[in-house]
Amino acid sequence: MIEAVVLAFVAGGLVGVSRQLNGRLAVSTSALFASFCNHLVGFGLLTAIGLAIGGLLSDGAFSGPWHIYFGGPVGVVFVALSSWIIGQIGATRSTMLIIAGQVLGGVALDWVLTGKPVSIAALCGIILIVAGVIVAQRQRSAG
Amino acid sequence: MSPRRIDLAANLAALAAGALLSLMVHLNGELARQGGALFSSWMAHGTGTVAALLVIPLWWKAIQPSDAPRQAIPLWAYFGGFAGAVTVIMTSTAVNSSLALSGTLALGLAGQIVFSLAADRWGLFGIAKRRLRLGDAVALALIIAGSALVIWGSL
Repeated sequence: MIEAVVLAFVAGGLVGVSRQLNGRLAVSTSALFASFCNHLVGFGLLTAIGLAIGGLLSDGAFSGPWHIYFGGPVGVVFVALSSWIIGQIGATRSTMLIIAGQVLGGVALDWVLTGKPVSIAALCGIILIVAGVIVAQRQRSAG
Repeated sequence: MSPRRIDLAANLAALAAGALLSLMVHLNGELARQGGALFSSWMAHGTGTVAALLVIPLWWKAIQPSDAPRQAIPLWAYFGGFAGAVTVIMTSTAVNSSLALSGTLALGLAGQIVFSLAADRWGLFGIAKRRLRLGDAVALALIIAGSALVIWGSL
């Protein structure tokens, strides 16, 4: 259990490291180039891991509906955006606003996909998040 | 653009990026159900590489050598994708423990926030130092509390 806790926490930290490195590369080149490198390097590593441990390709891997194969291109836009943002407003504000957008977007996506009504607790959460975004927006990012 | 405008644009871009992240996680999750977590991440990085190559005209000029003085790019700056790919492996392991999805998600967010506070405090990996202002601390607390309510309120 404690190993899993450490693993999940460190994985979150690595998300930050990745964003920081891509942001640094974007400062000297461009956000889209940083996103390209991010995907190419990740692809290389995952190919190596797949070849080493096997089981990369399963029988049904390519038989899904076409749209589920478009997470990659969406990710390219995401990484490019976040690589630009971090140089402008810093890591903390980038992280909290990305989380805010992710949670609000997730609620909207769930609602569209399942049609289930949003719970009262989730609604209160949404109000707090929107309040947080407004507070952040009213504060200039520190230099 | 004035600094105030850039701030606004970056704030809005961060919100939009977060929404895109949700969409990406949803799509890659569906793909993982089809072919496994490793395949899903491998495929997303592969199709992402191809997508970025298709828009090469948008970034080709930015990587050409220029006469303008420019800080040398440290080799480690190219390894963001390495950290990202390792993250996928770690989270897919953690999700299968007793932490389940919500625990993994919450701890992952905590790890991200702690790292970003440290990154701004000390200017880690070549991004400018920033001190934490009161408004940002309040905003952070509101967003964390709100996210916790949404995550656990939807279980």
